[in-house]
Amino acid sequence: MLGLGKKERGKHIPQGMEHTGAEPTEGMTVAFIGNPNCGKTTLFNAYTGANLKVANWPGVTVEKVEGAIDSHGVHIHLVDLPGTYSLTSYTMEEQVSRNFILSDDVDVIIDVVDASALERNLYLTLQLLELGRPVVVALNMMDIVEKRGMEIDLHRLPEMLGVPVIPVSALKRRGLSVLLHAAIHHKDHVHPDRLIHNHSDETHHKHNHHQDFAMVYSDGLEDKIDQLQNMLKSAYPDLFNYRWHALKLLEQDPEITKKFPLEGIERVVDRSYETDIINQKYSFIEEIIQEVVVNQAKRAAATDYADHILTNRWLSIPIFLFVMGVVFFLTFFIGDMLRDYFESAIDILSVYATDGLLSLGADEMLISLVCDGIIAGVGGILTFLPNICILFVTLAVLEDSGYMSRVAFIMNDIMNHLGLSGRAFIPMILGFGCSVPAIMASRALENKTDRYRTMLVTPFMSCSARLPIYILFSGMFFPEHAMVVAYSMYLIGIVVALICLLLLNLFHRQQADNALLIELPEYKRPSSRTVMISVKEKVKDYLSRAGTIIFAASILMWFILNFGPSGYGDMAHSFGAILGRGLVPFFAPIGLGYWQISLALLAGISAKEVVVSSFAVLFDGVNINSTTALATLAASMGQMGFTELNAYCMMLFSLLYIPCAATIATIHAESHSWKWTALSVVFQIAVAWVLTFIVYQTGSRLF
Amino acid sequence: MTLDQGIAGHTYIVETLNLAPRIEKRLQALGMIVSTPVDVLNNKNGGTMIIKVRNTRLAIGRGISSRIVVRS
Repeated sequence: MLGLGKKERGKHIPQGMEHTGAEPTEGMTVAFIGNPNCGKTTLFNAYTGANLKVANWPGVTVEKVEGAIDSHGVHIHLVDLPGTYSLTSYTMEEQVSRNFILSDDVDVIIDVVDASALERNLYLTLQLLELGRPVVVALNMMDIVEKRGMEIDLHRLPEMLGVPVIPVSALKRRGLSVLLHAAIHHKDHVHPDRLIHNHSDETHHKHNHHQDFAMVYSDGLEDKIDQLQNMLKSAYPDLFNYRWHALKLLEQDPEITKKFPLEGIERVVDRSYETDIINQKYSFIEEIIQEVVVNQAKRAAATDYADHILTNRWLSIPIFLFVMGVVFFLTFFIGDMLRDYFESAIDILSVYATDGLLSLGADEMLISLVCDGIIAGVGGILTFLPNICILFVTLAVLEDSGYMSRVAFIMNDIMNHLGLSGRAFIPMILGFGCSVPAIMASRALENKTDRYRTMLVTPFMSCSARLPIYILFSGMFFPEHAMVVAYSMYLIGIVVALICLLLLNLFHRQQADNALLIELPEYKRPSSRTVMISVKEKVKDYLSRAGTIIFAASILMWFILNFGPSGYGDMAHSFGAILGRGLVPFFAPIGLGYWQISLALLAGISAKEVVVSSFAVLFDGVNINSTTALATLAASMGQMGFTELNAYCMMLFSLLYIPCAATIATIHAESHSWKWTALSVVFQIAVAWVLTFIVYQTGSRLF
Repeated sequence: MTLDQGIAGHTYIVETLNLAPRIEKRLQALGMIVSTPVDVLNNKNGGTMIIKVRNTRLAIGRGISSRIVVRS
């Protein structure tokens, strides 16, 4: 129907310049904007599929998501703007959005409106209309509105706003084609369509603005707007949209006031009129709601009932722990079931590779590199893909269902005792998936100290890359209780993070201002499409890591383990062994004083999966996927004196020590400080060492 | 009274906001302005609460709820 673009299409930005089969006649840019949780991303994904280009807006750490589609013979470049409630200059997101809309780069704005929260969503709509660009309203979630017995007058609403209003369902993919069609046809409509209002109070203002603008202010404000417009016109003759700039000056918007200084402005703008402007917008919205919405009183009983239990004072925390327990149960249990298939495939591949290379007459060294190095290393990591997939699916489901933001509420009191807002807990949970996006998610925290503290402890949350380490070692040394042992790592990670925050707060007390403010969206059935797209991105990331960093690390490990001062062969005297032995004094007091282990942990800094892949290479291409091979390995390691306690220490240290190289790079990118980055690396190693030391020393005296 | 003293299940009317400008403007953008009705859905002891304003549920901390003057 819509001719979803080819794979590459989403990656190209130049509009209308691309040669596709259908040869689109023209190109245009459509920007999507809407409140958070209005279904904007679902709608955007419905058009672009997973072919997205994600980058940052120039100069700021705000995500820019782009895609493209050919529809109705037009090549349309789609830009997803950050979810926002208003267009002030208080946040980076809002500044980026409004500057982009004001620029010439955009032809039409699609304002995604959650019909079930029309009143609040229309506030952004009214601001968009004032920006003076063509706007089309996409009225989303009409099905929820209907289910609640409400009705929205779809004829009256466009009359009052002066722009087309298209009902859509992002989830059920309804109205998608119509919406784009409206956008294409509305491209040059800067002036509102026919506006019909029934304002009771007659205006005494000299212009009858009700013909020209949907949003008309009180006579007093309109006089001031007129005055400011005249002043702007003489001072800045080339300005686009004087009315909007005048309004921003009245609001004493910092960005616009600074950019367009006016002489004698204080005579007109004697104070900030922002509150007046907001109030009058909401009065108009109330007028719209009264005329347009029928049966408004119906309640959203389902969400209220669910919240009654899920955010209950006594039950909420046990339920949260139970939910996380289910997440990990699924990850381990279902993931392990699927892993068997992957393992057989890798086995077969290894056998074929050996046979193939032998038949080609390859020498022993090459066979060793391919089978013991690459296949053992990279293949070993690939077998954990099912576990990691399930973990990402469950986290995405929690996020999309609306539960994640409740966690901020549930944890707020505990986090306040630690000097943080409950909101800081969300990046920490995302850290179970991967530390990199989790650290980026800490951007949502406004307070800088909050952000830094969250970034410091987020790597303690056990990310999916550490999962292979637990699965390997708990499976090898604790076959009976593997799942319990692995789950204990996750709990320890949370507890260590919380204790570190507590200590930080004791040493450097920060008065928690307790200014949590987060929207709790309605619970909804997660969209499989949204979940799949989010998981696909992450799996792609994981695979590309397996293909690059882990691939390179496996080769490097194979090399330093098979070559030594005396040449090829003899692993015990290889460069790797020498390096590992050098690290032994550091690791001995914590029960990890074996050169193989030291070396694996060192290699693990490149990516934590590499601990496992190096392990496979280290123990001479041992098949880390075969149960019998692992039992033999555990026994032979036992003879080295490496027991259950050492294995537990190994997992514990892996959990806590430096995050991977990618995380370190992210910490640097977000903090813009090498000093801080180095500090957090040292901090994490110190915490890992001290805790493992305590466990090992206590353990070895007890057992 | 201030909003943090609100009881779950009751509705209050906003009289004034005494917050830092950033937060105040954000709440106003969400439609929490003078004479807006606010439903209290949940109130933990600490003043961390869930409220409903113009059909939107918000979780707010005590630092915010204790600085919103309301009447019943």
